[in-house]
This record gives sequence, C-alpha cells and structure tokens, in this order.
Amino acid sequence: MAQEGLLVSAFYVLVFTAMLIAYRVVRGQTLPDRIVGLNTITTKVVVIIAVVSVMREEYYLIDLAIVLLMVNAVGGLILAKYMERRALHD
Amino acid sequence: MIEIILLLFGEAVMVFGALGILRFPDVYTRLHAATKCDTGGAMSIILALILIMDAPAVVRAKFLVLAFLIAMINPMVSHAIARGAYRYGVKPKVVVDMYAWDNP
Repeated sequence: MAQEGLLVSAFYVLVFTAMLIAYRVVRGQTLPDRIVGLNTITTKVVVIIAVVSVMREEYYLIDLAIVLLMVNAVGGLILAKYMERRALHD
Repeated sequence: MIEIILLLFGEAVMVFGALGILRFPDVYTRLHAATKCDTGGAMSIILALILIMDAPAVVRAKFLVLAFLIAMINPMVSHAIARGAYRYGVKPKVVVDMYAWDNP
C-alpha cells in the first residue's frame, strides 16, 4: 500500500540527515559542536526506531525508544556538567 | 490525508535542521537550529505515526508518552549544553551578549 512506501521514504530521509550531521560530529571545531551533533543524532535514532516499529508492526520496539531517549537526557546533562567542571579547573 | 501532510512536514523540518547544523557559523546558532527543528520534526513525525498505524490503544498511548518526553527532555538538554558551552569558554559571534551583562 502507499503508506508503506511513505514510511520507507521517511526512514531513508532520517538516515540521510543523520549522516549529514555525522560530518559535524567528526570535524567539529570545538567540543560543544560535537555534543550538539551527538544529541541531535540520538533524537533522530529514536524517531528511526519508532518508524521501524510501525513499519514492521513490532510494537515492543517503542519501549526501547523511550529508554534510549531517557539515556540521551542523562548523557547530555552529564556532558554539560563535564564542560562546566573542566573550564573551572583550567 | 492529514497524516501524510504531517509526515512530509516533519521530514522537511529534519532536513532543514541538518542543513542549519552544517552551515551556521557558531555553537549557539547551531544549537538553535538543532533543538527547534529536531523537537518539532520528531513530534510531527510521531503524531503522523499515531494517525497512520492500526494498533490497540495502549500502543498509541506509548507513542503519546514518547512525544511528551521529547517535548520535555530535548529543550532541557539543549539549555544545559548552551550553559556548559558558555562556561567552557566558547564566546558567541554576536554584537550583543546579554548573558555577559547579567553575569560579569
């Protein structure tokens, strides 16, 4: 049906944008650039898991997406705290 | 019909957010593009998925919980990253820096 192709196109668009942002993660000039790129890529991976969960009709994957989003929140806060702490010791 | 429009809107927002992260000159402008476009695009795509799928109501409630968590968590993390980047020593390339006025 038509919606299946639409979901596959959404999957490929999301993978393409994640690969665009991977350039910024690899060649960011400073440390906060890389952290912004990693945070954005993780949010995109959460949306990719949700799209795959609807596309394959395996709805247990949405629990995995929720857990990955919470881990992303904790990791981002820890990285921000690390930047503050490291500037304070210099 | 409305779910197709929501899905295409979310994909367009994601693509423009990625272009903003690639092309903007500064950490704070990149963070602006990343967090606004990513939150709006992700919530739009997940609302479209809720309208597309045929599943029991518990699964739809889980997708709504995911959209709510994205709306709560993503601005919080971006705020923390901006504050940490300023404390880390990255100065913004702007004319007016109001954060430096308030915290001398």
